[in-house]
Formats: sequence, C-alpha cells, structure tokens
Amino acid sequence: MIRALQLCAWRQRWYATAVWARPTLPAGSELAGKSHLTAPIHDKLRVLQEKHGNLSQQLSGDLSVLGREELARLSKELSDTARVAEPYGRLLQLYADLVELQQLMGDEDAKLRVFAQEERELALAGAAECEREIIAALLPKDSAEDAGAIVEIRAGTGGDEAALFCGSLLRMYERFAQLRRWKLETIAMDSDGDKVSGAVVKVSGRGVFGVLMFESGVHRVQRIPATETMGRTHTSTATVAVLPQATDVHITVKESDLRIDVFRASGKGGQHVNTTDSAVRITHIPTGTVVENQQERSQIQNKEKAMQVLRARLYERERQKLANERRADRNRLIGSGDRSEKCRTYNYPQNRVTDHRVNFSLYNIEGVMQGTALQQVIDQLRIQHDLDELASMG
Amino acid sequence: MPRSPANNTLAPLLRQLAGKLGDRQAASELRWMAAHVRKTLGDTAARTEHSGAQYRRARLWRDQPAPSTEEADLDARRFSSVQWAWLRQAVADRVEKHKPLQYILGSQPFGKTEIGVRSPVLIPRPETEEWVLRLAESLAAHHAARPPPPPPPGAPSPPLSILDACTGSGCVALGLASELPPGAARIAGVDVSADALALALSNQTRNAAVLNNEVEFHQIDLLAADTASRLEALRPGGWDMIVANPPYVTPAEYRGLDADVRDWEDVRALVPMPLRVADELDPSGVSFIERLAVLARALRLAREGALASPALPRLVVEIGGAKQTEPARQAMHDNGFGRTEVWKDMAGTDRAVLGYAEK
Repeated sequence: MIRALQLCAWRQRWYATAVWARPTLPAGSELAGKSHLTAPIHDKLRVLQEKHGNLSQQLSGDLSVLGREELARLSKELSDTARVAEPYGRLLQLYADLVELQQLMGDEDAKLRVFAQEERELALAGAAECEREIIAALLPKDSAEDAGAIVEIRAGTGGDEAALFCGSLLRMYERFAQLRRWKLETIAMDSDGDKVSGAVVKVSGRGVFGVLMFESGVHRVQRIPATETMGRTHTSTATVAVLPQATDVHITVKESDLRIDVFRASGKGGQHVNTTDSAVRITHIPTGTVVENQQERSQIQNKEKAMQVLRARLYERERQKLANERRADRNRLIGSGDRSEKCRTYNYPQNRVTDHRVNFSLYNIEGVMQGTALQQVIDQLRIQHDLDELASMG
Repeated sequence: MPRSPANNTLAPLLRQLAGKLGDRQAASELRWMAAHVRKTLGDTAARTEHSGAQYRRARLWRDQPAPSTEEADLDARRFSSVQWAWLRQAVADRVEKHKPLQYILGSQPFGKTEIGVRSPVLIPRPETEEWVLRLAESLAAHHAARPPPPPPPGAPSPPLSILDACTGSGCVALGLASELPPGAARIAGVDVSADALALALSNQTRNAAVLNNEVEFHQIDLLAADTASRLEALRPGGWDMIVANPPYVTPAEYRGLDADVRDWEDVRALVPMPLRVADELDPSGVSFIERLAVLARALRLAREGALASPALPRLVVEIGGAKQTEPARQAMHDNGFGRTEVWKDMAGTDRAVLGYAEK
C-alpha cells in the first residue's frame, strides 16, 4: 500500500516534470492554420529571440566597457539573430492579433465580424510570409544551390523498357529546363532512337542545382510495355544523379593529380594513324575518381567535358563529406545523395506520380513528363528538405 | 520493291563496322554517321522529326498491349530510304575500302573551326589540334599581357606575322586565327599542293564566322631555291613565327601504314621526300623539319626581332615522336636558335618542338 502510494507520488512528479519540459506552441499559433513550425522549433526560436533581446540591450548600454573585437563580434551576432528574431517577433504579434480577431468574429455586431474576417485573412497571409522568412533565415546557405547542375541518367533494370523510360525522363528534364529558360547541353549520350541507355547533360542557369538536387535517386516506372501481349504491368527503373557544377571557386583540381588516358589504336599517333577514337579518360589519382567521354569526334572537346564532370563529382564528394560531418547523427531522407534509394514512382495505368520521400502523389503523369507539373513535386521536396534541415539544427 | 521494315535496322551495319573497328569504336562511328545523315540529308528531317513525336506518343501508352504495325513502320522510318542508302554505302566504303570516316563525313572539328576534308588532303589529327590550341593559349596570354604600345598611345600594337608552312587543309592557320584575340595575328598558310590550297580557301570561307584574324593562302613550294625571297616578298616587314605540321613519316614506316592513311592521304603530306630517294637520303624522316629550320634562319627568325618578344617561340614544328626530338632540336640549334622546348601530346608522346630566339 505504502509502496503503491510512493509510486503514485513518483509518477505525479515525473508527469509534472515531463509537462514542464515539453515544448510548447505559442498562444494563437493554432489559429494560423497549417504551420511548418513545430513546438521544438518554436522553443529554439524563443531562445534565439531572447538572445537577440539580450544582445540589443547589451549594445544599447555602455559600449566603452566592450573591447573593439568584442563589439564587432556582438554586432555581428546581433544582426545574425535579427534575421530570425525580427520576423519571429512579427509572427508572435500576428498570433496575438489572431486570438483577438477570433473573439471579434463571435461579436454580435455584423460589421465588426466582417472587419475581423478581413483582418484575419491579412494576418494569416502575414504569418505564412513570416514563417517563410524565418525558415530561410534559419537555414545555412549552401552555395552549391546557386550553381548549375550536371544530371546523369542511366537506365536500370528492365531492358528496352528501362531505356525508353530513361529517354522519357531525359525529355522531362529537357522540357522542365526549357520552361525555366535554363541552358541544356549534352555531355554524353548513349541512345538509339527513343531508347536511351545513359545520358549526361549539363544544365546552366541561376539556382539550377537547388531545384534539381532532389532528383537524385532511383526512379521507377510501372506501365504495360507496347511489346507486352498479355497486358501485364512491368516495372523498370532509371537512376538519376545530380551534381552541382563546380568552378575553380568551388574546387581546385591540381593538374599533377590527374592521369589522362587516350585510347589510341597505335602508339604512334600523329600522321602515322588516322584514328577516330576520340575517347578520353581522366583519373583523379588521390580519390580514384574516373571519368570517361567519347561523345564528340573532337578529343579536345571530350576532354573538356570529362573535366566538367570530374569537377562536379569531386565537388559533390566534398559537399557530401561536409554534410555528413554536419549531421552525422541524422539520417535524412531527402537530398542525402543516396542513389540506391527508390525515390519516385511513375505509374501510367493510374496516371500517378508518387514521391516516396515525402509520400506525395500527383495524378497528372502527362503534366509531370511534359515538365509542367514537375515543379509541384519539387516544391514538396523543398519544403520537407528545409524542415529537415531546420530540425537537425542544434 | 520496298524493303521490308525488318531489314532496316542499324544492327547489321554495326556488325560490319565492328569487324574493322571493334565494338566500342564501331558504335561511336555509326552514331556519328547517323547524326550526319539526319543533319545533311535534310529533306526528310521534318518527317523524321514528326514521326519521332508520333513514335514517342505511341510508346507513352496507357493500355496499348501489342506493337502496332504503324509503330513498327515508324521504327523503320527513323531514316528515309535515301538516308539508309547513304548509311549502307558509307559503312561499305569504311569497311571494304578503308575510307577514313572524316572523308565520309566530309569534315573534322578542329578547335572552334569545322575543317572540310577531302582526299587526298591530310586529315587534321587530334595531336595537331592539341598543340595548336596550346600554342594559341600561350600567344593569347602573351597578347593580353603585352604592355601598352609606346607613343603615340592610341596606335594599335602590330599583329604577329605567322607563317603556316605545309598548311594542307588550312587547319593550323584557321585554328590559330579563330583562337587568338582579334588583331593579334596576321597568318599566311602555304602549301605545294593545289588540292590543298583550294580546300584551305574553302575552309576559310566556311569558318569565316569564327575567324578573328586575317588569313591568306599561297601556293609555294618550300623546297624550291627561291622560297625565302618569295616569302620575304609576302611580308616586307618580316615574319615573327613559323608553325608547321611538316611531313615526318619515314619511308620504312610509310610502307607499314594502315590502308586508311596510305590509300587515301597524299604521300607528300606524310613523307618528306619522294619515296624512291627517301630511303637513301632521309631514312629518319626529318629532312623537312631541317629545311624549316634553315628557312627560319634565312627569314632571320632565330634572332631577336624588333616586333615579337623573345618569350615567344619563333619556330614550332610537329614531330613524329621521341626519335625525332633530338634531330629537330639539333637542326634548330644549328640554325641559330638559342633555346628549344618539347611539348608532349595527351598520349605522352613527344609531339612538337619549339625554337626560341637567342637571348
């Protein structure tokens, strides 16, 4: 009996502590509709806001006690925290407004009710805007996202059908790029008519990588091939890898680290032979990365293109290493660069495209394959990616 | 009688080519041939494009169980009958007659230019392209770094006078003219062959859009006695540089060359002397390189001129590998060049020797 009471008391205490420690949402946030800011994020934001308050107090006080370096450090911190604290302050104000407006909407005066309704719409829009601002400010800027991209597509399992699907994916990206006025350039292409067994294209433009980065992974198609007489649905795959285009600013490749091989029929070269074998293979010795190109008739052009791909691969490698260090404890689903994961399914009989990473389905396969509806899928991935980043921040 | 669609596939052509070239290269060459017919035999291009779209739509089926006859037909019509005939002929020429792919396609890319080629004018080689682009890069860097000209300050710095000896298709001259910044050079290509001259001129027209610098071509025999004076007459102000891809194949090597080269390309572009005397007079294939060194001295290139800086090479010649490196350097030193340099190609073979004026 006594033991049971003791247990009870212990439990109560435990509950009390748990409740006290549980992250809380600010009052009024439930009125703002669907929000990406979860309770733990709100807690972090409160800490940041408090820090910002302290800093501005410190800097509005007697500055002479601070050293010059200290002052510079504090001002930088102030402006850094302001990027989050300022919109967060506005957001909290909007939440408070929403609580008031909620009461007004129950008012007897019809005019007041209409006014409250209008005000509420504005407040909601403002809250969404603040939220976007906060998320953008919280996330570290990844300079690679501004860069162009190199997209590699390879047909996977499924024979000819996989090659046809690979071709469809390539055209999807081509159209998507056209719609956004990005420049598309073929680096290598292994195709026979509509069948594409592998392709590497360079996409140039502003912020290309930030948009296409989520395309990395295994894409799966489910449809009845034209050659299938029994009407059975076949499943085939294609693998997509998206790398950020790297310039010298991003990565420096030492000439001495490279081994360049050309495939010559005879060792003589020059006037002695007339080879059309223009293939070039570049090996980056320290990392063992090998890139080959034999697309063009010009060896020089093949070398140039192989170098571009090599740079992108090395840059991506560096980025992955950094990213892994930054969040070694977290296993992200999106943009983790894990190319063995099935990321998206294109189901023709059901007119459906499903992205498995965000569990998002779009019933407009033609639109996606024409490049017009692809953005809708990417938007979902972007939001989830930003939230993941946010959640993983310490 | 129309051919049945089943006969119209690339597979047999690929097999034929693979017998000569191996699988990998056969696939590449067939791809380039197919791209060529699609582009050049263009009257059917629109139709092919249209069919392609239909074909794709047919493939993006929902519930289309069996291949329709229409679809099979479209597959075959990816090329028109004219295009098929061209492809078959091309593959037969390539395999049975060893006709070089470049002559079949009619051109070869060289830097920014597209050089038209036809037998027997020598086809531009990738090794040549490599050293020409490298040379152009270093000349361009030098051009950019050149200090502002002495007063009057507005006067433009004079262009480099470059002689392309043994110009052939004109690729070296046109390649330099397209790579160098505007006004950096005035280039003259000379060749003994009238075939080569005609081709070089047509290549100049063909690439007019990418040429930044003045180019001219002259039919001159560099082995003739009065060559130096004829060349001096072309540039009364003097020459700054000679570049050349001279013949350097030895007579013994020539007899062992692939039919692709021996049966189709001008022996005068490959072996420096007539074959009947070459065995005795020039067994190592360096006589033309030596001749160029002598010519360079006659044109006073080995000395520091008034125009070009000593940092620039005055004589740049392509060679046939390491065995010709020393003879070429020796010839340059014998003719007053103070310093020489050797450039390797991507395959690691000694490919060009550069002579600099004495300090």
